[in-house]
Amino acid sequence: MSLAAIARWLEQREWAGDFSASQWLYPSVLAIHLTCIAIFGGMILVTNLRLLGFLRSQSLTDVVQKLRFWKRTGFVIMVTCGGLLAGSEAEKYYVNPYFWIKMTLSALIGVHGMVFRNSVYRNTAELDGAQTMPSRAKLAAALSLILWIGVVCAGRMIGYYVGPRSLAAWVKLPYALWR
Amino acid sequence: MLIQTNVVLQAMIENQWLFPAAECVHIVSFALSIGMITLVDLSLLGIGLQRKAASRLVRSTDLWTLSGFVVIVFSGLLLFASDPDHYYLSSVFQIKITCLVLAVLFNYTIHRKVALSADASGVVSKMVAGVSLVLWIAVIFGGLFFSFA
Repeated sequence: MSLAAIARWLEQREWAGDFSASQWLYPSVLAIHLTCIAIFGGMILVTNLRLLGFLRSQSLTDVVQKLRFWKRTGFVIMVTCGGLLAGSEAEKYYVNPYFWIKMTLSALIGVHGMVFRNSVYRNTAELDGAQTMPSRAKLAAALSLILWIGVVCAGRMIGYYVGPRSLAAWVKLPYALWR
Repeated sequence: MLIQTNVVLQAMIENQWLFPAAECVHIVSFALSIGMITLVDLSLLGIGLQRKAASRLVRSTDLWTLSGFVVIVFSGLLLFASDPDHYYLSSVFQIKITCLVLAVLFNYTIHRKVALSADASGVVSKMVAGVSLVLWIAVIFGGLFFSFA
């Protein structure tokens, strides 16, 4: 089954129609999705800032280990809400390039976690003992920040996609900007 | 007439990226500030970092939270200026701004004081954290529901 077929199948489910037609449900789930970004995304920001050498009042071990469970919980809620939003309008999302940019960046976040797992995220005791944060930890933090900010921005842009720009629009664009 | 006098709207019409870009900046910066504040809240509740970490947490996140606020307000004003009537006439927006003002005042008064004092009782800490969480979440919901109302 192709992805397009899955998207069509998803959107034809009864819940999907009810969901995207409801005046309250769609914005509510979106608001929960956004709240998760603030609360649990905030935890990710704090972890990364700590890895970059800021917020030294907390040990890295504390920040990474004590927040791990909550970050995971928040992640599950955030992804569930996101899945509901995308699933209810699957065919619209399927043709939306920003959605695919977001999915690609999300996949890269998964890769990032695996690449830096042993050297950074499971190695906090050693990093806490180090005089300065090793550049590998800083690299992990910088990449994580870029990827997460990219995911959030691409997510917001999904709502602005109106369809492929016609060739004429691209030709007119420099003129419109110049004018 | 309005279009001619509203420079922000004019800029946004000429550059279609400006409004979405301002929104993205708004979201990322509120994730920073509200994320930092709720981290303090959670530690007051004993969730995640411990209660005794709260005072150090407030001090070390202070500047980040404040910097976030500056960017939030700036990007928010840019969004607001694109269509002021539409915003201030909306009751959802009025509720959002009321919650925002209350949340900011609460953050720099009671919230801060309780988080910094090591001897505040558990119940008080938890109530303060609860109020803070409710206010900030209301601000986010208000902002989102404004565009759906």
